[in-house]
Amino acid sequence: MQGNSGRTSYTGGSHMQLGKPPTFVPQSLPRSPSVPSLQGDRPFNSLNRSDPMLNRKVFSGETPVPRLDPGSAHSPMGSAAVQASPSTIGGNSNLSVIDLYGDETDSQMASEESEDTNHLDTLMSKSSLMDQPHRDDYNVTSQETSMQTDSQLPQIPKSPRVNISSKDAEHFDRYGFKKQTSCISEAQYDGWWSEYYQYCERRKSKWVVLMEKHGLPSSDDQVTRFPPKNEKLKRYVRKGVPAEWRGNAWWYFANGQELLDENLDQYGQLLQKIALIEKLPDKEDKYPDLEIIERDLNRTFPDNIHFQRESFQDGEPEMIKSLRRVLVAFSLYNPKIGYCQSMNFLAGLLLLFLDEEKSFWMLVLLTSKYLPGVHNVNLEGVNIDQGVLMLCVQEYLPELWDYIVPKEKHSGSSKGNLNKLMNTSFSSSSGHSHQSQGKNDFLLKLPPVTLCTASWFMSCFVGVLPIEVTLRVWDCLFYEGSHFLFKVSLGILKLSEEELLKGKHHNSLTHYSLNGSQNKHKNNNSPEESEMELFQIVQTFPKKLLNPNDIFEKIIFKKRITFNNLDQDEIDRCRKYVTTQRQKHKPMSDPHKSSSHSNVNDNDDVSEDSDNSKPHSSDSSSHRNVHKSKTFNHTHRSEEHLPGATQDTPYGFKRSMTSVNWNSGLKEKVRQIRKKKDKFMD
Amino acid sequence: MGNSISKTLGKLFGSREMKILMLGLDNAGKTTILYKLKLNRIKTSTPTVGFNVETVSYKNVKFNMWDVGGQERLRPLWRHYFPATTALIFVIDSSDTERLNEAKEELYSIISEKEMENVVLLVWANKQDLKNAMKPQEVSDFLQLSENLKNQLWCVIGSNALSGQGLLEGLSWISNNTSKK
Repeated sequence: MQGNSGRTSYTGGSHMQLGKPPTFVPQSLPRSPSVPSLQGDRPFNSLNRSDPMLNRKVFSGETPVPRLDPGSAHSPMGSAAVQASPSTIGGNSNLSVIDLYGDETDSQMASEESEDTNHLDTLMSKSSLMDQPHRDDYNVTSQETSMQTDSQLPQIPKSPRVNISSKDAEHFDRYGFKKQTSCISEAQYDGWWSEYYQYCERRKSKWVVLMEKHGLPSSDDQVTRFPPKNEKLKRYVRKGVPAEWRGNAWWYFANGQELLDENLDQYGQLLQKIALIEKLPDKEDKYPDLEIIERDLNRTFPDNIHFQRESFQDGEPEMIKSLRRVLVAFSLYNPKIGYCQSMNFLAGLLLLFLDEEKSFWMLVLLTSKYLPGVHNVNLEGVNIDQGVLMLCVQEYLPELWDYIVPKEKHSGSSKGNLNKLMNTSFSSSSGHSHQSQGKNDFLLKLPPVTLCTASWFMSCFVGVLPIEVTLRVWDCLFYEGSHFLFKVSLGILKLSEEELLKGKHHNSLTHYSLNGSQNKHKNNNSPEESEMELFQIVQTFPKKLLNPNDIFEKIIFKKRITFNNLDQDEIDRCRKYVTTQRQKHKPMSDPHKSSSHSNVNDNDDVSEDSDNSKPHSSDSSSHRNVHKSKTFNHTHRSEEHLPGATQDTPYGFKRSMTSVNWNSGLKEKVRQIRKKKDKFMD
Repeated sequence: MGNSISKTLGKLFGSREMKILMLGLDNAGKTTILYKLKLNRIKTSTPTVGFNVETVSYKNVKFNMWDVGGQERLRPLWRHYFPATTALIFVIDSSDTERLNEAKEELYSIISEKEMENVVLLVWANKQDLKNAMKPQEVSDFLQLSENLKNQLWCVIGSNALSGQGLLEGLSWISNNTSKK
């Protein structure tokens, strides 16, 4: 912790452009005339803490200046119960977000003064400092809170300065995230938001009508129940749940209440346990997760105002405290998972929309129901889901697949060598060689691109996609189930593919995959370069996807895009398949073994084959597909000869989609059930 | 083979490309370093769950730098991605003396991998800006590289990701010590 804090305190100083003069901002901001009754001035219901953050929301897309409504701001958890209405801002004695803000500029300046000259003399900083105004600025405030150099603290005025804060507030979105990210500028954000907020308004008014039609309350503080699931509701959810209702909608669709009711006292008990543990002198030894969690707390959403400590604060933000409690409680609740990086993002986002206890249970649901095994210590759930995703890519995005697993791998590239090693050990560990050269190798030794896509799943796109897109994905995730994550991933990859195959890339790809390395100099594109290109696009592209509708309307809603046929059954079946495939070659694919081991220690691999019979811990609720999974339940050797195991069509997407096969009956059935449901609803 | 051709050509034209794996414990500053080099910017510090990869060009050399998540539990995800690395950069939080031992163990477990036999090793003793940071020499002594690494080129350089101090120095060192390959 020391390191982190100290370092960050250092960050800011020299980089500051300081002193953007505080601009006065009128407290009564112009609001969208069309929506006053929906969001505008309604004071946040203090008792409904399900949506603690959103009350700061201002639909001010059309107003050029501040976005944040000072009146509706409040500090996240601590004062969540008290809500200042617009007229009481100044007088509210609680620390509102805006209050925090007021001091921010000051603290910023203070640190600038004291550190301005610190490291200007270093190698790279000279040219660098001037071109990054806000982000660096922000860095200071975001983390200097924990800094060691207390010398600055006393200089900081304590009085809330609403006006300044309002001015700074314009840099943040309605959830408190900084608008500017590494890939999106604030201007881009504002440009997009000025339209998107109108979309949100339109959607919300439709939701209100829908709710009323079902006799359900539709005022923000009362929305806790939703209409029964049907196609129409699914469409509504896909077009976005109103932000103010989101926490409750997730909770409702994920059946959180059921889980909570079954475990009424559990969270409280866990908190008591934490309190006891805190007193242990050797707590860090007994509970190593504590320290690991601690290291990530202040690195969770450092760009979100609710997660930042301000210099004048004595303690840390309530949000960080809540985050710690949720994560520690979870690590005690489920020691199999404990704490895994990325859970900080999941819990962090949940806490922005739900109270602490509900966030905890939603985290439980996410890590068990939606992402089974993904956060387990052995990460096998990640590998399975990535195997499933790769199967899907192979099936639905064949062009991209060629890029991910180049056909001419053996042309001397490093990857080719790796592949050879893989195949060698694959063959020997499984006892005989494969004519198909391991069509399914990629399930065992996942393609490098999964390094990237794995994080999409682990963090459910938090930090991968811009926040509004992430939230739209979460809406659907909780409504439709985990297969939606695969759809979104495929959607992103499809859009990335277009990027990747544009112009010259397309040429080089063709040459590369058709002729191996021969033409690559002509195209100046070595395998490594291709790989870098792929990685960079896959890594960066989703971060630029500012507008949720770019993926929802262009991809998810398009019926002709074949992967939209994927449903939960298909994904569950696929998970089962990959699980079995990986299990039978477990030693080889054991992530704890490096490829060097798989290369030389074949005997070792074989000897561990006995592990294969173990049932898999991260079984992904695919019991429904028993009739199919039987197929894959054969013993190790006989499975090799099964169609669908290692031969040309390793997994039956196509059959299931296009021809009458095993699950066409099932599909028809589902269709009928849906129809019935819809009828019933109408 | 393809690789070596491209390298030969690269040499002819005076440009080279190399893959560099940047590892280290979580919170050592890997991502901060990467983006300081790439964008000359400081990113807010946040755990890397997957990885970041960027190309940094410096002195005719294209460094393809891979920065992977540092948390112990996530390491298996990228473990199989060692091969074809020209250089390994290991980033150490010089101020976190409590975890130096852990960092050392991690470093040795990585360089003992077969794929790491031929890589050059650069250790960035990062966070030199902090008062309690160990000096590069101290870090080097602590790591006992001179005793344990007989066949590998290695180097410990003090760095400060925030100011950029030591970063280009490190890349130069890598570039100068891999040219013969």
